[in-house]
Formats: sequence, C-alpha cells, structure tokens
Amino acid sequence: MQAAETATTSARPKTSEGTGTASGKKANRLKATKLGSAIVNDYWADLFSAKEAGKKVVWYNGTYIPPFFQAHDLAWVHGEAWSAYLAARHEEQPAQRAGEDRGYDRELCSYARTHIGQALLDKVELAEGRLDPQSERAIAISKLPAPDMLINAYPYCSSGQQWDETIYRLYGRKIPIFNVSIPLLWGGRKDAGYMRGTEWEERSDYVEKQLRAMAAFLSENTGRPYDWDRLSEVMSYIKRAAILRKEAMDLCSVTPAPASFFDWIVSIAHVNFLPGTQRIVDYFEAVKAEIQQRIADGVGAVPNEKYRLFFDGMMNWNKIGWLADKFAAVDATVVAGRYTHMSFWQEPQLVDLANPVRGMGQNYLICPNNHGAPIMIGEIDRICDQHHIDGMVMHVSRTCRGMTNSQFLITESARKHGRQALFFEGDVADESFYKDELLNTRLEAMIEAMDSKRRMMAA
Amino acid sequence: MDNNATMREILDTFASAANDSLGYARSWKERTGQPVIGSFPMHFPSELAHAAGALPVIIQEADEPITDGEAGVFSFYCGYNRSVVDQAMKGRFDFLDAIMFGDHCVQLLGTADVVRWNVPGLNILFNQLISSMNADWAWDESRGAFAQLRRELDELLGTGVTDDALSTSIALFNRSRAQMRRLYALRKAGRISLSARDMQHVIKSSMVMDRADHTVLLERMLLEAEAEPARAAGMPVYLSGHLCQAPSLELLDMIEECGATVVADDLYHGYRFIASDIAESGDPLDALADWYLRRNRKVPCPTRVDTEVSWDEFLVDAVNASGARGIIVLLAKFCEPHMYHLPEIKEAFDRAGISMLMIETEHDSMPIEAFKTRVETFVEISRRRLAVA
Repeated sequence: MQAAETATTSARPKTSEGTGTASGKKANRLKATKLGSAIVNDYWADLFSAKEAGKKVVWYNGTYIPPFFQAHDLAWVHGEAWSAYLAARHEEQPAQRAGEDRGYDRELCSYARTHIGQALLDKVELAEGRLDPQSERAIAISKLPAPDMLINAYPYCSSGQQWDETIYRLYGRKIPIFNVSIPLLWGGRKDAGYMRGTEWEERSDYVEKQLRAMAAFLSENTGRPYDWDRLSEVMSYIKRAAILRKEAMDLCSVTPAPASFFDWIVSIAHVNFLPGTQRIVDYFEAVKAEIQQRIADGVGAVPNEKYRLFFDGMMNWNKIGWLADKFAAVDATVVAGRYTHMSFWQEPQLVDLANPVRGMGQNYLICPNNHGAPIMIGEIDRICDQHHIDGMVMHVSRTCRGMTNSQFLITESARKHGRQALFFEGDVADESFYKDELLNTRLEAMIEAMDSKRRMMAA
Repeated sequence: MDNNATMREILDTFASAANDSLGYARSWKERTGQPVIGSFPMHFPSELAHAAGALPVIIQEADEPITDGEAGVFSFYCGYNRSVVDQAMKGRFDFLDAIMFGDHCVQLLGTADVVRWNVPGLNILFNQLISSMNADWAWDESRGAFAQLRRELDELLGTGVTDDALSTSIALFNRSRAQMRRLYALRKAGRISLSARDMQHVIKSSMVMDRADHTVLLERMLLEAEAEPARAAGMPVYLSGHLCQAPSLELLDMIEECGATVVADDLYHGYRFIASDIAESGDPLDALADWYLRRNRKVPCPTRVDTEVSWDEFLVDAVNASGARGIIVLLAKFCEPHMYHLPEIKEAFDRAGISMLMIETEHDSMPIEAFKTRVETFVEISRRRLAVA
C-alpha cells in the first residue's frame, strides 16, 4: 500500500505518556524539515478553498498520481493523507468512532475507517444538524471539499480499491469513478528481476495505457482537453526533487547518519501528493545541503549513534516524534526504511520528461510491496548493506496488511545477513493498537543482542 | 462405488472427499499417475487445469489448529490464509504439481509469497485477474490472464491444452454445475431432505473430486433425492458470506438444530460456486473471459469492484425470492472485503424489514453455545414477525 503522510507540525502525542525516553536524549531533527511543514500547510489551505477558487476536486487513493491532477488544474484530496492529517493532529478518534458506530469493523484499514467516518458520516451529520458546527469534528470536515470525481490507483492493496468503491456507494453512486489497476509484479518468470523482464515490460504497457485513459476521464469530466505539456512541466520539478531526495538519502550511509528515517517520513508528503513546483525542489536542496553540512561537521541525527536500524512497515502517524526520541534514547539511528526508501519516485531516471507517462507508471509499479517477496527482499537487503544496518525494526501495522504480508520473510532474510530483528505492534492511524511497553522491552532486548554480538566479534 | 449405491452412501463419498481434500487428491494421483494442480478460490476456472489432463483441486481451509503457520502469518489474518500458510509449512502441498495463484485480496497475495518462500520446489502459476469489472479493458485483460495461464499449464505439463479439450472440460463442468443447481432448486422448493451439511459436502467435494466421477454420482443421487419424501421444514433462512472458506459443519448443524432450515445461500461453498456456466461453443478463452465478467452480475462478489451491481440489493432480492424469512450472515473474521459491505447489508435488511443475524467465525475457536443462543433468539423473532405478518 502506498499510504499517506502529512509531515505536519504535530509530531508529539498530546497524551500523558511523557517523552518516551528515560535518558532525556532526543532525536536531532533536520532543521530544514521545518521549511517543509509550510509547504504542507499551504497545500491544505489551498485545498480547503478549492471550491471558492472554482476548481473541481478529485478524491483519490493509492499511488502518487497528483501530477495528472495538477496538470489539469484540479484540486485533489488523498484519502490516506486526510486520515493521516487527522491522526498527526490527534483528531482521528471521533472520526473512527463515527465509522464504528455505523458498523465498520475496527480490523478494517484505519485510514479507510477514518476517512469514511470523517468525510462522509460526519458530513451528513453536520448537514442534518446532528453535529455541533463548533465542534472540532465539524470544523475539520466542513473544510474538506466534496468530490467531483473519484479515482483509485492502488498498487497491491485490495482494501484500497474497496475503500473507494465504498465511498462511491455512500455518495449515492453519483460521482464518476475511475480505477487504475496496478498489478503485482510477481516475478515468477525466468527473466524476472528488479525493473526487467517480460512481466515488467507488459505491466508497464498496461499501466501506461490506463494512465492515458485516466487523463481522458479527467478531460471528459471537466470538458477541457488534457495538457500533456503541462504534465511534463510538473514532472520536471518532481523529478528534480526526487533526484535530490535520493542523493541526500544516499549520503546517509556515513557514520553517524546525518538524517534519520523520521526526517524522511516528514518529507514524504512533498513527493507523494504536494504540487510539483520549484518549492519542493528548494526544499530538497535545503535538506541535502543540511545533510552535507552535518557530514562535514560530524553531526548525526542521533547524538551518540551506536546502532543503525532499518524500519519496516507503514508509519505510525500519531507516534512520529515519540518513536524518533525513543530510538535516540538508546543511541540507535533508524537510518532507512522500506516505506521511505523504496517508494515515492525512487527511480526518477525512468521518467522521460518528453513523454513522462510510462516512467510515471513504472514508478507506481515498483512501490515497495508491489514486488513479489524475493525481489522486494533483495532490494531491502541491498539498502541495508548500503547503510550498514545492524538491526530491523518491524512495525506490525495491524490494519495495513499490505505492509505486514512479507514481514516474517524479511526478518528471515535479515537474520541470514547477520541482522537482529524486533517486531512491535501498532497501526497507521489507530493508536489503540500501539503497545509502548512491548516495544520498550523488545528494543532493550535487541540492543542487548547487538551488544553481545559485538563483544563476541571483538573477542 | 457400486452402481447401486444409496443416496446416503454417495453423500458419504462426497463427505469423505470434502473432509480430506488433499488425501483424496494424493490417492487420485497415485491411482492415475496424472498431475494434481491446486488453486486458490474463488475466481480461477478449474476447467483449464482439467483440460490439461490434471486434477484441479481448490485448496481448502483445514480443520487442524494453526501451529507451524504461526511463523509465517500474523494472527490478524483470516482463517483461510492462516490455514493455507500452516498447511504449506507442514509440507501438505508437497505432492502438488503446481498451484494457481493470483487473486486480488491483499491477504491472499501475501499468502502466495509465503507459500513460494516455504515450498521452494512447488511450481506456481501466478496470473492476477483484473478486479475492476467495469474497466474498458477488463475483457481483454481477463482473456489475456487465461491465455497466459493456459500457456503456463502447457509448458508445465507438456500435454497441450487444445481448444477442443478445453471445450470438452467446460461442457463437463457445466453439466456438473447444472446438477448442483437442480439440487438447489429442489431444496428451495422443499422437495428434498438434505441438510446444510449435506449440501456443503456436495459442493465442496466437487471442488476436489474428479469431476466426471462426481457427476456420475450426483446424477444417481439426484434420482433418489427427488423420489424421497421431503423432511419437515423449519423456519426458512438464507445464508450469506463466507467467501473463500467453507463454514464449519458444526455451525451449520447448530443453525438447523435451532429450528431453521437453510433454503438458499450465496456462499462460495454453495450457490456462488455453481451459479454461472461457461459457453460451450466458440473460442473457449473468449468464453472464459465472458464467464468471469458476467458471473459477478449473477452473484456479486465483494472482492471485485463493479458499479453495475449492488450486493446488498442482490441479497434482499435473493432472500425474498428464496422464501427465506431471515438471513444469517457468516463473516469470516478479518475478511476485509466482506467487512466493507456489512453496514450497507444491515441497513438494506433493516429497510426491507427482514431479520438479519451476523455471526463472526474464527478458525481457532468457535463459541458454538453462545452462537446457539443468538440463533435461537433470531429464529424466534423471525417466527413472530412471520406470525404478525
């Protein structure tokens, strides 16, 4: 699943759990990420006034297709991002309760439950006078513009497609809907490999064809021709930003790592659903420059780095700051992750700006869980080697099975490569699944195991 | 089995194959020397593997507890997925010549990978069918997936799946489905004396047995079934849900022991499996593509997206047409496609004034006694509504 993220200002829980760190050591977050928050906030402000600006609005879920909307002068709502927006502000629980009240099981994707609960049920209650217009729920939902079109473009995750179909039904089957099928790259043929083989070529053709049909759908529902030159222009910014991001990530193989997984987490919105403009290029230039300066100064993302970890699984959006400090407290830098390092235009060279659609489709196809396990795990192992990873942190995101599917296989491979692994329970947007003490205990045990291994190797 | 076997003896044969599907398939392979191809439910046409000279077997949820599988799949996956992983890690699939995978369900996709990883010698034929049924390219994609699967079967088995062989298999399976639909019609009309347990054995065994053998036996059984006096009917109910896996037999028994009689269903191990036939004339791959897209209109499947159908409206109509006085929805715990539809189904039955009971089932623990109290209450309420009406 290509999930959402907000990179918003609220990184620390509003709970009474304290800092989550006993030592008082905290993550040394990149200063440049504060610049990124302003771009995110502007996106939401523009979205909330989209109807007043005369724009049609697309609600979509799945992969990073907003360049198609931006090029057609539409506003867009990423359902996952909206749920994560609420979760990062700790405003998700009333929405989830609204969904549960209607009968949605809490084992369903919590992004979907939050989005359906907030965007539909609350909206109806507000319109019918059953929700106090001054309440937080009412204020939040009244900002979100209603959809003129629905688009689903989920690699791998069936739940995502069913979520959008649910929204289609709940809106009375009246909103035009379009599905882009992004099939799994199973990798079973003899010529299969990462970005090669007949399956790769056939699937690239298939997705490209559908993306062109999606543009026709946008034209049909706006009455305007599609501007392919504008798409190339939008993609020129995104490609440049993606290259800078990747270069900056690659710089983090040094010790201490100058930036952490959590810095990349709060920078995902910019390459996932924010508009492709010079601002995101400037942002990643600033990020990269700060990383280069930190390397020159010997400054790390964690004050006293002793261990280097890889984060697998979807992000726990209401725990970003909490988790960043928790790992910093034990001198562990979470250097890389499947979600951050294997997605969001991670192969920007595939995008030919003169004819970008096929390369865009190929980037959608290689979202981290859309490969069969052998190829996906090969890529994870490669990234772990590149960043000198000691251990794996497996976030078992309860309602995001697209990301938990291969986690036992990932740890099996990691152990073969001499890396420790821990599992901890949580979720993308439902805080109730997170068990802090379990993570504390398991993290402590993994640190002990890594120390023990080092002592043995030194002896 | 001799030619004079009674209906009960035939049902015992069906029950035996249904309850030990892999045991049946292993014996069949030993006896015939022919290959066995497993497949995931719910959308792959077994006709393709049959036409290649293999025994097609739809992989079933096993009754045994999940043990080895705990190391391959999390506890918050549906019982079917957990059971398949468990069976794979216990080596139960080692005798299969291949498995056909490729459904859209995200849990099944993960299970396919876990099976590949843990049974490295097993051939896997992976062909993902399109799940967006209204797409302009849905037919071409469906036909392409079946054509690719046919090529892979050819390559694997070396027997060649000719158009003629495929059409012959389609005709046999159509005949089999028609027989089972006949049984359904008789049950709905109250003219046969078969329990929900019996009906599941008939359908489930057809997913496993040599279809020609199954057809001969069912033909014989139908004659006797039609001649037998019908049993005293309880409160007529409709069963819905349980997609990939069969509901437990104990659960079905309990429902009927509470005074209900199951008269119709949309279960995968039920009417969903037999509802649609494949055209026997013309290009057989065209016919398979037509069948795949059309069957969702006949019995909507929540794992597909299709703006032309409504599962909840279909269910209200189906319940009314069946004469059932209530619906029992069987939800396999953690089945996401089903969970997305439940609120709408409940609201549709509330609007229609038809009683509905939802039972959430699990692989490991089924509180049958607690369910019994709920079913008894449901039957009582439905009877009262009937009396008032």
